[in-house]
Amino acid sequence: MRVDIKGFAKPLVESLIAIVIGIVVGGIILAFSGYSPVKAYVALFDGAVGSKYGWAMTLSAATPIILTALTFGIGARTGLFNIGGEGTVYFGAIAAILLTNLWGNILMGLLGGIIAGIAWMAIPAFLKVLRGVNEVVSTIMLNWMAYFIALYIVLQKIPNPEDPNKTIAVPASARFPIIMKGSELSWAFAISVIAALITYYILWHTELGYELRVSGYNERAARYGGINPKKAVIWSFLLGGIMSGLAGATEVMGRPPSYAISQGMANIYGYGFDGIGVSLVGRNHPLGIIFSGIFFGMLKAGATAMQIEAGVPLEMVRMVQGVIVVAVAVPGLLDLLKRVVRR
Amino acid sequence: MKNKGLAVFLVGILLFSVAVSGCIGGGGTETQTSTPQYAGKIAVVYDVGGRGDLSFNDMAYLGASRAAKDFNLELKEVQSNSESDYLPNLRSLARKGEYDIIIAVGFMMTDAIKQVADEFPNQKFAIVDGFVPDKPNVMSILFKENEGSALIGALAGLIAANDGKDRVGAVLGIEIPVLYKFESGYRFGVAWAEDYYKQKTGKDVNIEVLSTYTGEFNDPAKGKTAAQAQLGQGAWVIYQIAGATGQGVFDAVYEYLQSQGKDMGPPFAVGVDSAQDWIKPGVIIASMMKRVDVGVYKAVEMAVKGNWQGGVMELGLKEGGVGVSTIDDVKEMFNSLSEETKKQKLKELGFTSEDELFAKLEETRKQVPDWIWNAVKELEEKIKSGEIKVPMATTKDQIEALRNAQTWQEMEELAKQWESS
Repeated sequence: MRVDIKGFAKPLVESLIAIVIGIVVGGIILAFSGYSPVKAYVALFDGAVGSKYGWAMTLSAATPIILTALTFGIGARTGLFNIGGEGTVYFGAIAAILLTNLWGNILMGLLGGIIAGIAWMAIPAFLKVLRGVNEVVSTIMLNWMAYFIALYIVLQKIPNPEDPNKTIAVPASARFPIIMKGSELSWAFAISVIAALITYYILWHTELGYELRVSGYNERAARYGGINPKKAVIWSFLLGGIMSGLAGATEVMGRPPSYAISQGMANIYGYGFDGIGVSLVGRNHPLGIIFSGIFFGMLKAGATAMQIEAGVPLEMVRMVQGVIVVAVAVPGLLDLLKRVVRR
Repeated sequence: MKNKGLAVFLVGILLFSVAVSGCIGGGGTETQTSTPQYAGKIAVVYDVGGRGDLSFNDMAYLGASRAAKDFNLELKEVQSNSESDYLPNLRSLARKGEYDIIIAVGFMMTDAIKQVADEFPNQKFAIVDGFVPDKPNVMSILFKENEGSALIGALAGLIAANDGKDRVGAVLGIEIPVLYKFESGYRFGVAWAEDYYKQKTGKDVNIEVLSTYTGEFNDPAKGKTAAQAQLGQGAWVIYQIAGATGQGVFDAVYEYLQSQGKDMGPPFAVGVDSAQDWIKPGVIIASMMKRVDVGVYKAVEMAVKGNWQGGVMELGLKEGGVGVSTIDDVKEMFNSLSEETKKQKLKELGFTSEDELFAKLEETRKQVPDWIWNAVKELEEKIKSGEIKVPMATTKDQIEALRNAQTWQEMEELAKQWESS
């Protein structure tokens, strides 16, 4: 596999600058609000990567958002603005719980996530191909439908009879083993990384991937070159569905302590939206997404330490994170806008 | 050439950031050194509801901060962004090994507490509303909501009977066991009121309890619709047990009163968890207070004074863990708000001073004759002394059995059966 080093350099430097700007602006805001930015950032980085446990927290927080970012990234690379990852996560989680309770092993759970992801993403795919429905509109609406359908299933169909605040749990035999004892980091993280590597391979080293990317760059040129853009749309949605479905599945199979979906889906809510930011920071590139996912994981893990060590309230932590994310996402967003405008 | 410029730019930004944070941050570190010497440290982990909910989490803070002041402790607070933060938050605190006690607020943290309690057997934990009975280093702070709700039931039932009405209501959140505890107490209280009224006046009354589970704790619109439906069916007092959904119940009763040209009930609403009476003066006759602050304070006290005991700490009427709000309770709750919030709230409610607000609340309570308030007191004493046992349903079957029971004696019989099994 030949990796184009030069092509990576520019976006990498841009992203790094953005991170620095984000950190500085966040620091200034912290200082003016009466907190010590030095103390806060030391706490953030020490908490996130200063110890083995910090790394474990960081990587476990990165696990689901790498996968949901791949959904958005694949879409962006093929010219789609696919924000349906959020809803797909719910069904991935539900399917994994159902299948592992029938056959108690990890593979069945992953299969459940994949099937659910494909099935749910097939809806916007066919709407787009057959009826020309804009995917932004359809995926936003489908997210809401997914939320209420999933809520119904969680509350009415698979509640835990001993504890109605959550669903039945994934059986012990189908849970990802914990990598480091006494942490939340499980081998589900490996699934995320492998999924990103496979996505990279498909997009840059197969004929299908070439077709997908070409349709993303310029649909008309692709058609002229004999590529069926409808095929590209369908593949893009289905691959994206697999990723978010897996995110839901690995979340319930790999995150202690509950291994179940809790009331209001509070433990699986929001990953799809987080994934959009992760993907933009990673410049919609599967390998970039691994690193930006870990960076977002750091911010999440560091938030705990910032509260404990520096006394910075969570609202403030979130705000600083927001500034960093905006600063980092700007170049990626500009890229995407440029492409959309050109289209 | 271009790269060199970039590098210079980067270094510049870094230097600038260090300089800025150095000079502005300096002030913060100085004040740190002048903080007093603490005798220990305690930590509170809030659930996703977080501070500012005017109820559960704020009450926990009230208790923890009072204990921190009384026992000279440093208080650390940690909020949770989402549910997957519970375990990392608790672990990060426990790993330090420097906290006298770590308090988790909310039953959603039950699984996480169980896990960290096993990993850190020397760390003391407490969980509010969660049930972890079998670990020596975990104290479960539970409340006898059924006892407090029984008093509300008695109050509601007697108000309805006195006005010749035959229905009262309850608007609840999601159908979970904790809420069955509220509902069973309420039903018991209403049945007790029927009996009391008959003995006092010789008249037979039959008061029906309407209960609606809205399925939401955070949807005032749903609460309003549910309350409007109950008012339409003739409910004379509505007890809200639904968190923020209950705001809609207050609104519905308020609008109903306005449409009748009244600015004071009956019909009334009843608040829950904290003394909510001030939120809609004239509408809310009283609140069922769940003293999370008392529970948290007691847990901290036990942890630092050395008489720690793991297991379940259940706080009922006798222990001051639940009760019907008094005007003084409302004053305390209102005064725990910041000056700015207080001013704004007074303005919103159309009062020029606090005294006016409290005068209105006093007047609202006068709409209910003294003998009813005394009857509620009487029931309270009987429950405290153990003479009367309030049922506490925790399963679907139990609550169904209770809904079908006719008299309070029948319900008490059920309570005894459940206890012995």
